[in-house]
Amino acid sequence: MHDNTVERQCLEVDIACVGFGPASGGFLTTLSRGLTEAQGEFESSAMPGLPPQVVCYERADDLGFGVSGVVTRATAIRETYPDLDSASIPMTAPVTSEKVVYLLDPIGASRRGLAVRFADAMLRGLRFVFRVRDEAFTLPFIPKFLHKDGGLVLGIGQFHQWVASQLMAEAQVQLWPGTPVAEPLIEDDAVVGVRLVDQGTDLKGEPDVGYLPGMDIKAALTVVADGPVGPIGRKLDEHFGLPEGHERRDWAVGMKLVVDLPEDCALEPGTVLHTMGYPEPEVFGFLYVNQPGLASLGIFVPSSLDSPVRASYRYLQHWMQHPYLWKHLKGGKLRSWGAKTLQESGRQGEPHLVGDGYARIGEGSGSTNILTNSGVDEAWATGAQLAEAVLELLKSKQPFTRDNLERTYVKRRRESTLDKESKVAAKARVGFRRGFVRGVIGTGLTGLTRGRLNAPGGLGTKHREIKTLAEHFKGRIPASEIERIEAEASASQRPLQDVYMDRVGWPAIPFDGELLVSHQDALLLGGKVQAPPGYADHVVFLDPAACAACETKPCIAICSGQALTLGGEDGVPLFDREKCIHCGACQWSCPAPRQPGHDAAAIALEAGAGGLHSAEN
Amino acid sequence: MDKILFLAHTEADGTLPKAAYEALTAAKNLAGDLQGATLVAGLIGADVAQVADTLTGIERVLGVSGPEFAVSRYSSDVAAAAALVSTSDATIIVAPATPRFCRALPGAAARLDGRIETQVTAISAEGDAVEAERWFYRQRIVAKFSRSQRPWFLLTSPGAFEPASAEAGKATLEAVSVDLPAKLRTKVTGIEAATTEAQTIRPDADILLVAGAGWNKKQKDGATHVNDASSLVLGFLELARASLGSTKSLVDQGAEGAEVMSFMSHLNQVGQTGSTPRHRKGLATCCHGEEPHVVGWRFVSERRAINLDETCGWAQGKADVLYVADAFEVMAKVNELLAADA
Amino acid sequence: MTDGFHIVVCGSLVPDPIQTLEPVPGGDRPALKNEAMLPSVLDPWAGHALYEAAHLAAKTPGSKVWLVSLGPKAQLQQLMMRVAQKVPFELVALDGPASGFTDSFEVAVALAQAIEGIDGLDRSRLLLFGGCASASRDAGVTVQMVGERLGIHDQFLAVDELKVEDGGSIRVLERVEGGRYLASVCEGAPLVAAWATGSLPEPPNSPQVGMQNMRTIMPALAKAGPATLGGEGTTWLTAEVPQQRRETRVVKDSSADEIAQEIVTWIKG
Repeated sequence: MHDNTVERQCLEVDIACVGFGPASGGFLTTLSRGLTEAQGEFESSAMPGLPPQVVCYERADDLGFGVSGVVTRATAIRETYPDLDSASIPMTAPVTSEKVVYLLDPIGASRRGLAVRFADAMLRGLRFVFRVRDEAFTLPFIPKFLHKDGGLVLGIGQFHQWVASQLMAEAQVQLWPGTPVAEPLIEDDAVVGVRLVDQGTDLKGEPDVGYLPGMDIKAALTVVADGPVGPIGRKLDEHFGLPEGHERRDWAVGMKLVVDLPEDCALEPGTVLHTMGYPEPEVFGFLYVNQPGLASLGIFVPSSLDSPVRASYRYLQHWMQHPYLWKHLKGGKLRSWGAKTLQESGRQGEPHLVGDGYARIGEGSGSTNILTNSGVDEAWATGAQLAEAVLELLKSKQPFTRDNLERTYVKRRRESTLDKESKVAAKARVGFRRGFVRGVIGTGLTGLTRGRLNAPGGLGTKHREIKTLAEHFKGRIPASEIERIEAEASASQRPLQDVYMDRVGWPAIPFDGELLVSHQDALLLGGKVQAPPGYADHVVFLDPAACAACETKPCIAICSGQALTLGGEDGVPLFDREKCIHCGACQWSCPAPRQPGHDAAAIALEAGAGGLHSAEN
Repeated sequence: MDKILFLAHTEADGTLPKAAYEALTAAKNLAGDLQGATLVAGLIGADVAQVADTLTGIERVLGVSGPEFAVSRYSSDVAAAAALVSTSDATIIVAPATPRFCRALPGAAARLDGRIETQVTAISAEGDAVEAERWFYRQRIVAKFSRSQRPWFLLTSPGAFEPASAEAGKATLEAVSVDLPAKLRTKVTGIEAATTEAQTIRPDADILLVAGAGWNKKQKDGATHVNDASSLVLGFLELARASLGSTKSLVDQGAEGAEVMSFMSHLNQVGQTGSTPRHRKGLATCCHGEEPHVVGWRFVSERRAINLDETCGWAQGKADVLYVADAFEVMAKVNELLAADA
Repeated sequence: MTDGFHIVVCGSLVPDPIQTLEPVPGGDRPALKNEAMLPSVLDPWAGHALYEAAHLAAKTPGSKVWLVSLGPKAQLQQLMMRVAQKVPFELVALDGPASGFTDSFEVAVALAQAIEGIDGLDRSRLLLFGGCASASRDAGVTVQMVGERLGIHDQFLAVDELKVEDGGSIRVLERVEGGRYLASVCEGAPLVAAWATGSLPEPPNSPQVGMQNMRTIMPALAKAGPATLGGEGTTWLTAEVPQQRRETRVVKDSSADEIAQEIVTWIKG
């Protein structure tokens, strides 16, 4: 938390937007056009005589450093850009073919329940009937709710760059990358702006050379678009709580690569493959071909995988090597790498969308449709809806109060098709809390009945119930051996997830220096991860005693960049920000709530600069 | 028909730097290979008569001399170089890429409406065309090209050519006069050490020690040991007469307010945003990185690395040997052995 | 120095140095693979020059800083989002390629013309700053050529320190061989300083500075004129990333003593 006794500079603007992503893209583009069309009709209250001052602060060092392999119906994006020419945006292609594929386990190391094993045996036994090839079964049809007909494959980094360049050309709004926002400024339950992070500090946040206390940006409207794990959204939730009956307990980390496909690869641009069943049944995969010879591919490791060893990177490497995929990828070359957290509670995780002086848009506002697995277009739509509302309020010279925002923004959102769809989808993932098979059946049920029927199960179950190592490896690794491994690892600071993966039968990765590279090389070659000096560490341990007492420390295994390691003083993990990609998986994987019965974790991702430096994600 | 001018300046002690004899090799080779080419020499310095006699095989030597040319200064050097090029009617100028020439010759090229390349690593003749090779994007990409414009200045990268031998001979030295402005506005006041700490950069050292950020990081016991790291590094530099290079991340730690090695400065930095020194051997310790940083030892012939991580990008495929070990332990032992030997 | 300096910094964008760079054949000159997709940054040395310029201008009342940048307009636009919050400056933009394979002479001609065209620039008070090399062409020649074209005959390369002394003379430290400095004193402006790293840390982002800068940056970008860089007279023969993968012998499970012994033997060999 910031020291409130420090004297801070203050800047007044009209609208401050936190985070540059699809939601703020939709918001700023729509707003910018509205301001241009108004031809000076609106005047800034912060700086009289000038047009409304709209600023957007993004923590990453560039606007194109976002991560997401996206296939989207692009309905809302096309509403904003009716003449969108996919050829003008690098890494964009119209969807040409779609497949959903169930992957068998060719290794035998995956942890499969009885039902899955039965299904596997049946597929193998009747392989000619089911046309099982390369250890994979292609679903004969794709349910309508999963189809992305007429949609687009996007590289989100390039898309963001393109949107930003359109915005810059219009010159109505200012975009500032490399500017992390620390916290919302709340006065009497109204948000009056944001505070930027302190600069020129040491790792602990103490003043150092070039110290500049984070500036207070006062704004009539604060637009919160900082994604699923953004600190502003989180702090608003901590202050205002979630609406009755809402919860955010389903998450996933999506880790992906952008790959130069081998020359003989026959996959066409616009190809969309979705996989399930391997490397663990709960882990879903995707492969999208962005342009000739270039694909985005990766996996989602969800919170429903109740393992303390959620080793995303290792799983990703095994997934790529599955015969069904490897036939396309062998000989390919890693071009980019990254990971991000996905908020998979969707509509059930919707926070208070508006309050006095603020509005929330995008993934952090619960816009993701967890049935169709799409979030970019939905996020864009919420941004565009807010912009229309803002223009309406500017025109009628009304303040950005809760009531006014409810009446304009929330109303538009509720009336939109995408919102109705997300309502249908609200319970699509509930089944996964009770296992993979129930999850798949539940999703199918939700999709086919349009939300009238869902898997049973409700709120509050399975919250961070990660099994202990002994429970998880029961029957596979003796408890005494686990103890020995833990004791040795603590001394050597060696990442443990690999030890356990090896031990339960996952083969060693045959590193080739091209596509199969070490985790650290993925960071350096692919993600180009950086940590600029002058900022405090952005991953903080709020309750060190809880961390010390935590036996499993799943934050370490799931850490996308191996930035968290064992070996810290008093059993608290060590954090190395030079490896952190700000995915926030540590936060939602934390099994140690800060207060009993409270969702807030003992570890927190605060705002910080740096992270990924690849624009091809 | 190209006329080649080999251009050099003297050092403070009146001799030519080693880099000049390297450029002389390049100039002579080019003159030999290029159809119909002629070679003359041009020298700049307080007194160039003595060094003119060391340029064996060159018959015509032009000289600009006088007290104004004793020092490295743009205004006097650019006038001298332009006068030598004009007098010799040269079309190709081969000169060493010393700091003095890197500062002055671009301006001389501009004054003569010519073109210039610095840090040239190879010069060759193909028929009557001159081809140059140099690195772009901080030693990441190497390219070869030719130009039709003349005069064309080619400044050879130190260490890229074998130095020509400086044998005593007798050249005819023609003095070239230079019109200098009535008053030179810049006065050179001398050479200063970059830091008051130990001198750690030794361009002529046989071995380069590259220190990475790992030295300042928490070690096995969860604490940092910067003092130990400092004495190990300094000890090695002294005992092995080595030069010190550093990765960017290690240098940057200073800016982050972390406890750092006091003798380390940005001048030590090698790689993408630092220098690319030439040494016969290089030992990288506690470094991790990939291509952009590894260019720091692009011009180091024999390379070894000590790192805890076997897959380290600094080493895999780039070093001849990678020792997977704790650098603190190994370097302590190395210093012990070197000291016992000394 | 009562009137202050007019400091013109030449600097443009380069691919973010941590990106993977691979040459591919281009039209007039080699290009980089995915050049348009590579994120770019202000050239590191030009960045130091800009921060030093701003620092000097802040200390010297009446001073003003211009940043003259030649690069593709769309990329310059993006670059400004990263730079404009750093220090106050006025942008002079030229629309043209920022490739490392452009010709330094042609670039110098374009930059010199742009500087000559700056309204209100007092050439007698001019300090022409730039980087001592770029992370693209990496030649370290352009600023001197611009200076020469502008008739400035006091030039310094690889500057780490520039101090205005009592009486207005300027003391400069330049990097020379062996990690040492050459110290010189110049009577005053005009002069050229091509900076090495200088001594200033990268300034923090200041939203106020950003907002103020953007008011002039946007119009400057809008009116950025084209710079013609045809690369005439140059024939590119090859451009490649040298593939020098070595067979690395990995020594593990050896004791520190054994490794040390092997290293010492190698050093002495």
